[in-house]
Amino acid sequence: MNCQEVEERDILEGYLLDRLSGPEREEFEKHYFECGSCFSQLRTGLALQTELRREPAMPVRARCASLRRAWLWAPAFAMIVILCSAGLWWYSAHTHTPSQQVAVPPKGSPNVPVQVQTTPAGPSLEELARVEPPPYSALVLRGAEDESHETFHKAMQFYVKGDYAKAIPGLRAAAEANPQSASFNFYLGACYLLAGQTDPSIVSFRQTVSLGDPAYSESAHFYLAKAYLRKREVARAKDELHKTVQFHGSLEAPAAEILRQLRN
Amino acid sequence: MDLPSATSAGELRGLAERIRQGDASAETELVREFSHRIFVMGVVRTHDREAARELVQDVLMAVIGALRKGQLQDADKLAAFVHGTARNLINNQLRAQSQTPPLEPLPEDLAQACSPERLEDAERVGLVHQALDRLGQDDRKILWMTLVQGHKPGEIAAALGLTSEVVRTRKTRAVKKVADLIRKKLSRT
Repeated sequence: MNCQEVEERDILEGYLLDRLSGPEREEFEKHYFECGSCFSQLRTGLALQTELRREPAMPVRARCASLRRAWLWAPAFAMIVILCSAGLWWYSAHTHTPSQQVAVPPKGSPNVPVQVQTTPAGPSLEELARVEPPPYSALVLRGAEDESHETFHKAMQFYVKGDYAKAIPGLRAAAEANPQSASFNFYLGACYLLAGQTDPSIVSFRQTVSLGDPAYSESAHFYLAKAYLRKREVARAKDELHKTVQFHGSLEAPAAEILRQLRN
Repeated sequence: MDLPSATSAGELRGLAERIRQGDASAETELVREFSHRIFVMGVVRTHDREAARELVQDVLMAVIGALRKGQLQDADKLAAFVHGTARNLINNQLRAQSQTPPLEPLPEDLAQACSPERLEDAERVGLVHQALDRLGQDDRKILWMTLVQGHKPGEIAAALGLTSEVVRTRKTRAVKKVADLIRKKLSRT
């Protein structure tokens, strides 16, 4: 392999995204162990990737890929819409009750925070940080699944049973094998959060946010806020809640309510 | 300061021989030459920065041990030898995870030359942030869609209304621009 091939065949990006075949990866590594110029670009590429992943999603996405993803997640969207409509109906029916409950979905209803009873002084940070597991319904995809999806689905069987700690190793393996999967990273973050491991949950949710997948961005910001609330980092939590609100999606109302509680 | 390597093949050959003869400064040069390469390789292959940092130490200790004993048959192949050692250790680690006992740690003076601060490139990441601010919005989008979203030039071209050729050229130019800025800034410090 030489420098020209590296440039013409997009080898550097393929390497950083773990997309090269075994022999290609080996060849490129041998090359950059000897080539200062290509290694300098690789280091820059890795630093760029690290930095860009920290930034909020950019507005333009490849239309074809987004559409493909949207269709793939259509059943999940439908499920979320149904569940959240029920949650919002329940919420709107109870927001004016004398007990001043906030964001009160039925017990076990996913994607919205747990019931928080206000006290005269308002709910504590611990109460605001409490979470219900995000919804999950296994999608049956046509065609053979790759190994990472199989690992993911096996791990999610523990998730469905509420055994979040046992789901973590499988989800971590799936996310490592396929770091560009927003769903793997999102549910890994959820499991960490539900298992009480706040710091790793933040890493996974931030990774989810960086991927810019429309199916998970809003939820990732919301649960990231919950993680920061658990750490008592209120400013960061507010920032994530504001970002959640900006999606104007199903989590807008609960996020706005938590923001209101934090202002009180 | 960590500049891109400018070590020639001849210098690398001499390095292996100097280490065999017990030259401590040659060992430090070897660490400076290869620690970042091993770290980047470890990050990409394991997706775990902490594991990659530990790997740097293990690989360098194994390489230095072998060079001290004169086990490198062909001094021209030092870079390939380091790469092969790194690949084998990463593969062993991925196969056995924590079952592999850690190797003997590097001596303190050598360990400093590949400290976590140096490996993590904090200064470089800071400069990248500055350089990104100087790029045009479209160039930033191209880099983001390439390196974060993993889109290919054709997909990016379709999304931005450009041709694949233009996307590829702008991407290469943007990475080079950032790399040049970093090189200039680092060479001043």
